Order: sequence, then structure tokens, then C-alpha cells
Amino acid sequence: MKAKWSELTPEMVNMIHAFLKIRAGMLTQARLFFSERGITEVDCPILSSKASVDAHIDLIYSESSQVYLHSSPEYGMKKLLAQGSGDIYQLSHVFRKGEMGKKHRPEFMMAEWYRCGFTYDQMIEETCSFIQLFVGMLPIQSLSYKEAFKKYANVDITTKSDEELNEILGLHVEPQLGNECLTVITNYPASQCALAKTAHVDGERVAKRFEVYCRGLELANGYDELTDSAEQKRRFHEANKQRKQLGKQALPIDDEFLSILDSVPDCCGVAVGFDRLMMLRHNTEDIADVIFYPV
Amino acid sequence: MAQASTNELRPGYKVEVDGQPYFVTGNEFVKPGKGQAFNRIRLKHLMTGRVIEKTFKSGEKLELADVLETDMRLLYTDQHGAVFMDDNTYEQVTIPFDNIGDNKRWLKEDLVYDVIFYNGQPVTVDPPTFIEVKVTETSPGVRGDTASGRVMKPAIVETGAEVQVPIFVNEGEVVRIDTRNGEYDSRVS
Repeated sequence: MKAKWSELTPEMVNMIHAFLKIRAGMLTQARLFFSERGITEVDCPILSSKASVDAHIDLIYSESSQVYLHSSPEYGMKKLLAQGSGDIYQLSHVFRKGEMGKKHRPEFMMAEWYRCGFTYDQMIEETCSFIQLFVGMLPIQSLSYKEAFKKYANVDITTKSDEELNEILGLHVEPQLGNECLTVITNYPASQCALAKTAHVDGERVAKRFEVYCRGLELANGYDELTDSAEQKRRFHEANKQRKQLGKQALPIDDEFLSILDSVPDCCGVAVGFDRLMMLRHNTEDIADVIFYPV
Repeated sequence: MAQASTNELRPGYKVEVDGQPYFVTGNEFVKPGKGQAFNRIRLKHLMTGRVIEKTFKSGEKLELADVLETDMRLLYTDQHGAVFMDDNTYEQVTIPFDNIGDNKRWLKEDLVYDVIFYNGQPVTVDPPTFIEVKVTETSPGVRGDTASGRVMKPAIVETGAEVQVPIFVNEGEVVRIDTRNGEYDSRVS
């Protein structure tokens, strides 16, 4: 919504009410999806004194309270998994500083869930079923990161840096993904593993990470979760090193998270952007159309 | 020189890229997956109107171009160019015809034009979208031709522009012309 509260016409107010009902209905359907599968809703805190460390995700920080707004409930949820919580999901707002555009908001709704004992392929399948609640029974197409670059940009990924790949992905590959289908991108370069396990596939080390796209919109980011604290620590330091090279502040590492990571059972997890699902459901290209709160 | 971050740039901003002045006409925030954010910015050249797209890292700073847009009234033209005056400051400036280009054919005394200054120099002169001008030269309409819809004929107007007018328009009459494409809009008198 681009209008101000004071500028709302009766028609706009009616439209907002109608939309909020649909949105509430979709939240109910999402919860039903999880409860039917025996996945428990949790509500990990949004505020945390330690940060999640990503080279390219900036956090909103309150100087006076010395707390961060979470960019995902991931660390809190993994602490629960380590305690034997079993399968869990969280529906909550997450926060990312500076992300603002037609597909981005610094505050948005995320659905995140973890499945113990699930294989990577099972997790992809379940993620697509969840997305289909919103976009209908679109067919599913799956290709590796490497194949996607070859097919949509005619680029051999081994000849490019991560930074170059990122730009090609955003400008040339992503807009072509998920045309009348869901496109799953699998097996990311090991250098873009984030919190995923790595594995050898056809002689190359790849990250067991996946993303799902529909009509050029990135909807989901999932992992076969890394449960090796030593490796995770190394990645945190690597991310902080990258942050410094980009002229950003290094972020404090959550030692408690590292100390429980080895106790997290083998599991897969995924995070799905709820507002983007609503964009597809309502056939709009601007996220402002589905966040019905005037500025 | 003043700068603006890619996050602030919106249509209407004027920036300098590779030493050239551009209007910002679009700005798309792109951030794939966990990758670095960047902005895809559409730029229109201040003088040539050529449109390009450039990619910048999100948060990168661009130089703002020293561009001033002013409404100025045409006083008269002479061999050096056209003399304009700012109605608020009464400041006068002579703009050479070279900088006016094709719009020279829309120069009419006492009309207000949109003049753009870049680094203190006037670089473009845009006429109002519609102007009313007197037809100074055209052949007389031929009776009977009007039955088959709007039949047009060439005419020259007081500013020197060559336009097409309907066959019923006579010399000395005033017509309204769309300066964006030079097309006849209506007869005024």
C-alpha cells in the first residue's frame, strides 16, 4: 500500500479488509499444513544479544538495548532441536537492514521449519507442496546451480567469481526461473554453502542447499543442515572476514549456538518468504501490494 | 561534489556517471539468495536522451550532477542565439542555437521554456508540450477534399517549423501543435 492512513478511501479500506481476511486464511492453511504433518509451532525470540552472521545480511541493532532483531529464527530453533524438540516450525517477522525494493522489505514474514531425519530430496518435495498451497499445483522442475547458469546465461560457473555469479544470477538467471512452474535450484557451489552440509557430487564439492523460484521470485532457501560446530565456526569467521573486506562491521558470534550445534540431530530445514507467496497468489510484482499497511 | 547512495536514488535525481550527466529514470534493488545486494539503475542522458542501464553495489555512492532546471521566458532571438529571461530574478542568458538543436523550430517570443543548466551552462531548451502558432505559409484548401476524412497539407508556421495541417486551415490562422511530435492538434482561430 503506497497511500498514507489519512488518504485511504472507503474502497481502499474495503480492499484492505478483504485482503487481510485472505491473508489470515492463508496463515491458517499454513499452520494446518504443519500440524497435519506433526510439526510443532514454536516462537523463538525476535530479539537476541548475539547475531546471526552472514556476509551479505545486515541486521537491525538497538544501540540502547544492545539487541539485534533476528534475520531468521534459525539459531533459536536449532537450540530447540538440540534439546530434542523434534520437528518444529515458526511463523514470524524477520528483519534485514537496508533491503528495500519491489521484492524486498526490511521487515517481512517468514515461514521456517525443520524436519529431523528428512533427506534433502524429501525436504525439497515438502517445500514445493507448501508453496503449492499458494500458487496452485504447478509442475516442478529441478536443476543444479551449474545447469541453471549453463541453460539460462550460457555461463560456465567455474570461470567466474562468487561476486560475478551473484550478478549474473540476479540479472539474467533468476528472471527466467519458475516460468509456469516451480524451479528448484540444487547443489550450490561449496563457497555459497551458508549453513548447509557439503558433499561430493560428480567429483565436485557442492553445498546441499536449495532454493525454489516461481515467476522469477526467490521463495525458499533450504539446507541439509550442517551440524558440525568446528566447521560452522570456521564459516562464521570467514563471513566476518568478508564483512570487514566490504567495509562492514564484524558481528559477534553466538558461542552458545556453536556449543549446541553438534547435538542437533540430522535434519533438513527451509525458510520461505510468506509475503512473496502472497505476491504470487495475488499476481502482483510489487510487495507493497500485499503488505497492506500504509506507510 | 555532492553524492547520493544508490539506496536514495529515485527518478528525478540527476547523477554523473563516467563524466556524463544523466537523469535517473528507474532503480531496482536486486539481491539474490544470500548474495550481495546491488542496484540496477536506468539512466537517461541529459542532452542526448539516450537510455542506459548500470549496475552498482548497493550503498555505493554516485556523484550528483550539477543540474538546474529553470522556467525561462524567450525575449528575442538574434544572430548569437536565443535570449531568455528568468521571470523571478530577471536574469538574462543567451543560449546558442547549437544547444537548442531541433527545438529551434519551436521558439516563439514571450513563451516560457524549460531550460536545463549543467555545470552552469545551458544545455537544453524544452518547449511547452503544446504551442499556439500562426500559419505563415500554406496552399489554399481545395473544395471537395474534406469529404474523405481528415486530409492534410504541408504548412509553415511563424516559428519556422514545417507541419501538416488539415486542408481547411488557411494562412494567418492560429493552430495548436504538439511539440513532442510536431502534430497538429486543433485550430485556435
